Amino acid sequence: MSNNTCIEFQKVSKSYKELLALDNISLNIQKGEVFGYIGPNGAGKTTTIKILVGLIRDFSGEVFINGNDIIINKKELQNIIGYYPQEAGFQEWRTLDHAFKTFGRLSGLSSDQLENRVQEVLKLLNLSEERFKKIIHLSGGMVQKLRLGQALLHKPQILVLDEPLSGLDPQMRYHFKNIIKELARSGITILFSSHILSDVQDIADKIGILNQGQIKDIGSPEDLQNKFHIGNNIEVVVAENTPLCEGLDDLSEIEYVNNIKSNKQLIHLNSEINIDLVIYQIIEMLREQKCKIRNFNLVKPSLEEVYLKYVGGENK
Amino acid sequence: MSLRLLFLDELKGYAKSKVMLVLWFGLPLLSFLIQFFNPAELEGMPISFLVALVVSSIGGTLSVIMLSTTIVSEKNRHVYELFLIRPVRRSSLILAKFLAVYLCLVIAVSISLIIGLIFDAFTGDLIENYLKITFESLIIGISSMAITCSIGILFGVLVSSVPVAAILSVYLGSQLSSLIILPTFFIHGLDTQMLALTLGITLTTIIMGINIILFNRMQF
Repeated sequence: MSNNTCIEFQKVSKSYKELLALDNISLNIQKGEVFGYIGPNGAGKTTTIKILVGLIRDFSGEVFINGNDIIINKKELQNIIGYYPQEAGFQEWRTLDHAFKTFGRLSGLSSDQLENRVQEVLKLLNLSEERFKKIIHLSGGMVQKLRLGQALLHKPQILVLDEPLSGLDPQMRYHFKNIIKELARSGITILFSSHILSDVQDIADKIGILNQGQIKDIGSPEDLQNKFHIGNNIEVVVAENTPLCEGLDDLSEIEYVNNIKSNKQLIHLNSEINIDLVIYQIIEMLREQKCKIRNFNLVKPSLEEVYLKYVGGENK
Repeated sequence: MSLRLLFLDELKGYAKSKVMLVLWFGLPLLSFLIQFFNPAELEGMPISFLVALVVSSIGGTLSVIMLSTTIVSEKNRHVYELFLIRPVRRSSLILAKFLAVYLCLVIAVSISLIIGLIFDAFTGDLIENYLKITFESLIIGISSMAITCSIGILFGVLVSSVPVAAILSVYLGSQLSSLIILPTFFIHGLDTQMLALTLGITLTTIIMGINIILFNRMQF
């Protein structure tokens, strides 16, 4: 483990009776890194997160935070983690202020620190006007802000977010994403799970793809797109009422061609080819057939395609 | 530290709840109304005795229902996760709830009793013998309420459905607490108050111990 490693899972497994939720997973997250954890429902994302924050204690393997075993040093480590749970509720008789103050005190903040910190967090989340409202009277979006707020109160070094962006309206999602990016810039290590791949791609420095309790791959969004053997695609759009080019799939470097619309086709190239050569050959073929080209574009696989390649087949 | 904080928090929550308003004001009022509208049926029983009886019996039932259903509902809504990710002992969560509700009940009984005693003093019904009986029933009531509250928590920890917890509480909760006076029916000469106190403390400690063990083993 390097000095810069913040979170480390070593051969961690967890079963719920017969069901193997995590199967010998190992992963490292560096200090200050934003790690996006993606996978289908039931893949084991929440189990991984609950192990990290200490809610699940009976697992095999070892988990370290800043080199300290999370079981042995649980109390010390709990104060440096902020956790945004996917579905945790609040005691609804509390006001937002009361909830923040209780959680702040339990996280070790003194009375002097608490007032300042509550104000800062309320301001960050645009919740100042709702400060003395009872939780039962808050909207769903505001409760999600409250969940994020309680995770930030004690200025954690590590932020663990379980599906923080799901169920938010576009404006709120934008706001949450900005907060997460801002926190990342301040040097906090962030582990977050999500179903929304575009958001993961947008925020994460590194992505882990989890399926059926196993980590399928880890890398930066770009690495995953490049590393995974999905050939690049070329999108060809021809002018209206112009026939599409034929016989492209006869070229050896082309895997197959999809005619998406009457004037649009997607050419799937084989991986590890000489891209310049094949583009030249395609253009030559288009010219020979006198196709009127409106658009010719090299399209890299999206993260969604990479993700589906890993988990799609196995979940069908 | 966390137990004190959680206890004060829970106390604040329960004190503001409608159930406690019923206990603190509704039940004494009900007792007064019974005494006012149908005094003959009570055969001269002082109001202090009546309210202590009403509050401790109905209060016990209400508290067992409230505790069990609250815990089940909070478990199902994952409320405890946000506490347990912090340096908080699981036992503190359970103990804080128990102590808060129990204290609320004791306050309810005390309020009722004080009001009743004042009322009886004014009406001239404050007879020494009744005071003794009232005090005796108070000791039994407080002991049985401790057991009732711990049983409420046990149902809350064990059950995962709110209606089931409520049904169990109504049919079993308060009835089980009456076990503390059962031996006096079979063994003559037992000091009822001492027996109630001893069994109350012993059974409550055992049941709370079981509650803590079960809650510690729970998967969140």
